[in-house]
Amino acid sequence: MGFLTPALLGGVALIALPIILHLIKRRQPKRIDFPALQFVRRRQAANRRRLNFRHLLLLALRCALIASFAFALARPTIKGSGLRGKEGAPLAVALVIDNSVRMQYAYKNNTRLQDAAEMAKGLLRQLPEDSEIAVFDLSRTGAGFVIDAGTAEARVQNLAAENNPRPLADALREAIQLVAERKDSRQEIFLFSDLNTDAFTESALAGINESLANAPDVRIYLVDVGVEEFHNLTVQPLELRSSSLRQGEPLRIEAPVQAVGTTENPLVELYLQDSKGESIKRGQRVAELDSDGLGRVVFELADLPLGSHQGEVRLTTADPLQADNTRYFSVEVRPAAQVLLLGVHDDEVLFLREALSPSLVTDRQWVRFDCVTELYSKAAALDLSGFDAVCLVNPPPLSDELWQAIVDYADRGGGVGIFLGHLARASDFNNITPQKLLPGQLKRKSRLATYLSPQRMDHPALSGLRNFAAEIPWQVYPVFQHWEFADLVGDAYVIARYANNDPALIERPMGRGRSLTMTTSVSDPLEPVGRDPWNLLPTGPEPWPFVALSNQLVGYLAQRENRLLEYLAGETVTIQLPPQQRVSSFVLRQPDGQSLRRSLPPGEDNIRISTTSELGNYRVASGGQSRQLDRGFSINLAPELSQLTRIAPDALLASLPEQQVKLAKSLGDVERYVDIGRSGRSLFPWVISLVAIVWGAESLLANRFYREAP
Amino acid sequence: MATVEKYLKPEVIRHISRLDLRAQFIVKGFLQGLHASPFHGFSVEFSEHRKYTHGDNPDDIDWLVYAKTDKYYIKKYEAETNLTGYLVMDLSASMAYTHDQELTKFEYSICLAAALCYLMIHQNDPVGLITFGERIVDSLAPKSKRQQIGNILSLLAKLKPRDKTDIGQSLNQVAAMLKHSSLVMIFSDLLTDPDQVIAALRRLRHGGHDVILFHVLDQAEIAFPFEGLVELRDPESQEVIELDADSYRSEYLEEISSFRTMYEVECRQSGIDYVPLDTSMQFDRALTEYLINRRNRG
Repeated sequence: MGFLTPALLGGVALIALPIILHLIKRRQPKRIDFPALQFVRRRQAANRRRLNFRHLLLLALRCALIASFAFALARPTIKGSGLRGKEGAPLAVALVIDNSVRMQYAYKNNTRLQDAAEMAKGLLRQLPEDSEIAVFDLSRTGAGFVIDAGTAEARVQNLAAENNPRPLADALREAIQLVAERKDSRQEIFLFSDLNTDAFTESALAGINESLANAPDVRIYLVDVGVEEFHNLTVQPLELRSSSLRQGEPLRIEAPVQAVGTTENPLVELYLQDSKGESIKRGQRVAELDSDGLGRVVFELADLPLGSHQGEVRLTTADPLQADNTRYFSVEVRPAAQVLLLGVHDDEVLFLREALSPSLVTDRQWVRFDCVTELYSKAAALDLSGFDAVCLVNPPPLSDELWQAIVDYADRGGGVGIFLGHLARASDFNNITPQKLLPGQLKRKSRLATYLSPQRMDHPALSGLRNFAAEIPWQVYPVFQHWEFADLVGDAYVIARYANNDPALIERPMGRGRSLTMTTSVSDPLEPVGRDPWNLLPTGPEPWPFVALSNQLVGYLAQRENRLLEYLAGETVTIQLPPQQRVSSFVLRQPDGQSLRRSLPPGEDNIRISTTSELGNYRVASGGQSRQLDRGFSINLAPELSQLTRIAPDALLASLPEQQVKLAKSLGDVERYVDIGRSGRSLFPWVISLVAIVWGAESLLANRFYREAP
Repeated sequence: MATVEKYLKPEVIRHISRLDLRAQFIVKGFLQGLHASPFHGFSVEFSEHRKYTHGDNPDDIDWLVYAKTDKYYIKKYEAETNLTGYLVMDLSASMAYTHDQELTKFEYSICLAAALCYLMIHQNDPVGLITFGERIVDSLAPKSKRQQIGNILSLLAKLKPRDKTDIGQSLNQVAAMLKHSSLVMIFSDLLTDPDQVIAALRRLRHGGHDVILFHVLDQAEIAFPFEGLVELRDPESQEVIELDADSYRSEYLEEISSFRTMYEVECRQSGIDYVPLDTSMQFDRALTEYLINRRNRG
């Protein structure tokens, strides 16, 4: 309890006046002669007591009237919130506004962000002029105190929804740290949030608690702008069978749809951009929702021409949160990769060739690899530059010229696969030139039976097998012999090992290309003449793992692995340029149609793009009409950003320090908090009402008492 | 005689006369009621003859009629018809009280007494006056001459109610003073200890007197019209009581009502006519009503 004008409390002393008047100038009653006094006398005692009581009551009312008047004029205030502040100190205020994309949820014609901004602006207008104000949002940039309230208001006004928000707790902790630096000020933070569970995870709360513990003077007013009952339709991340299609391979897109708070089956549309970048509707389906609100639609597009293709799957049904109603996708349709298989004779490469390019498949359009088989003896005459990958199957000792040609090929960006077998000789292979390709000195042949046992499938060469990692029975395909290396060179990297931990697959970068060495044969016959087979990988029962592994490895060498074409907002996109391609500048076309011209440093074989905050399809092009480079990628919203589940305010408050955090639901609450925090809640209206009541009672009693007797 | 006229206002007299002339049966009844005397004494005034029947006193046989008609006739004489009335007037100080009425209780009583006096004299009945305070103050012997009205009223006009009162004692004196059965008309506010008053009234009644008790109260004493804080002073005892009139009104009304009821009950039991009056009532009308009631009862 406090008073704005405590001096006026002295007026309470004036209650002495009615007391003195009561004592010395008691009002004389009307004197009346009345003979029938005997009837009055009988009940006189009770009446006198009542009379005295009324006298005292009237006196008490008059005293109360004066006291309450003085009390009201002293402008009493109450610190009802229990929030302790430094009375009279200037304010250091931070506004932390959750501007994640889910704050675009519309309710009563306003998005949550608009509501938050309106409240924040209303609050800013209430703040004293000498306040220090900082505005924090969930963009990646930090914030400090702004020059004045006008600047802060402009910042609030210009807040846009962030597709790639940082955690709210981070912004809040930053704000706590900032205002806590103003030791002499009252440190207040207004957090505008929809109380999403994603923003207040256990770790986030722990972090906030830690920051608050270090800043005991900081007060947080949590302004809830969320909606209790929400409904939303979401297109979940699209499921594409592959982002890289062979020509003629149909594009199959599965679009999971999730509905919360609504049972209406939404209409889903598929749009594909044409060569001019305009979206053409290519299909529509109604998503049948199950009892959990989940549904799924499947689109299939055939006959996509070579090149990059982009499109989007969108809901036509309107819902309060629009940002998650569209998902973008990019695919590439590419011709079959040219692969050169070198062997001592044709039989040596039979299994590998069949795995890569099955001769039984008559429709060649479906074949990923276009294999050319050649003998080592004739290899020197070949122009390797026409091939996307070169595979040395069971290589014998080769001429230095051929080794050098292969090294040159790899340096220029080619992929070389070396599948060591029984023909390899350590003495020859440990020479200088082959060692440029190999990951180390050949040591010896190991004859300990083992099997492939790739532990991690995160390398691009194996990532295609990741989904089947647990299902591949590698032990069914034993490896009886493999080469061991003495020491791996520094830049060599083991991709996979055998069960006995010896390296099985080793990659070595070569200039702009790479070499991949497998320490056992990949194309050994079941019963080779005069020797035992090195492994049963191609000849074991149902050797589908071999086919998959061969496709992955050669695909990686030919750089035909599934390129990542979908990213989340804010992620840095890397586009690897083709080995032989020289790009000095490129144009980035953004989803809004704006094109940015960028230059690339000489020798750079990757294009990195970090301005990916906007959702949609991006296009990177170079070479003008010739379309020397034309690649696309898509930026989508992180799926968790469309989850609208709220944390219960009580639960949230319970997990934060009670003395430091208060919850508000409206601007009125916020203003009251500001008012309370600054000068306490004014009790004037209540006290003046009390004065009126006391006054009324006094008048009533006095009139009744001192009514002029007739 | 201005004072007398004051009490015998022309409209009152007119009203009373009208009562006499136009409603003679009422007046008669009233008079008969008043004259319901038990005395059958001797009188020279012949009343009527009737046939002798067995059981009649043979002394009453009119032998002259027997001589003329040869039949026995009883000669009836008119009984004693002159009944002495006494106007007994309370002179206590409280009778001088009025709160906001035109007449004090005393004046109201005089008006009432004057009217009754007029009626009695009109019927040639002797009327006397007794005034009392703590004891009998003054008395006027009953006479039936017309001058008696003037005498009584002039005496009343000279009197000032100022004394303390002892009604019981005074009525006892009255009872002792009256030798013959009389009609005693008492005008008082009875603001004293009722036990003694009732005892005295009984004694009067027991003495064979016909008693009419005119209980005259001021309108304020009936209605207690005061509001707010008042200080009430008893004009007799000078006692002062301060009270909140509003809260006390209902209790007072209960008290005064039970007081009048008590007198009414006691009087009825004793065969006394109790006439409660207050000064706001038109006394002539009140009197008329009373007379009609009495006639009906009679």
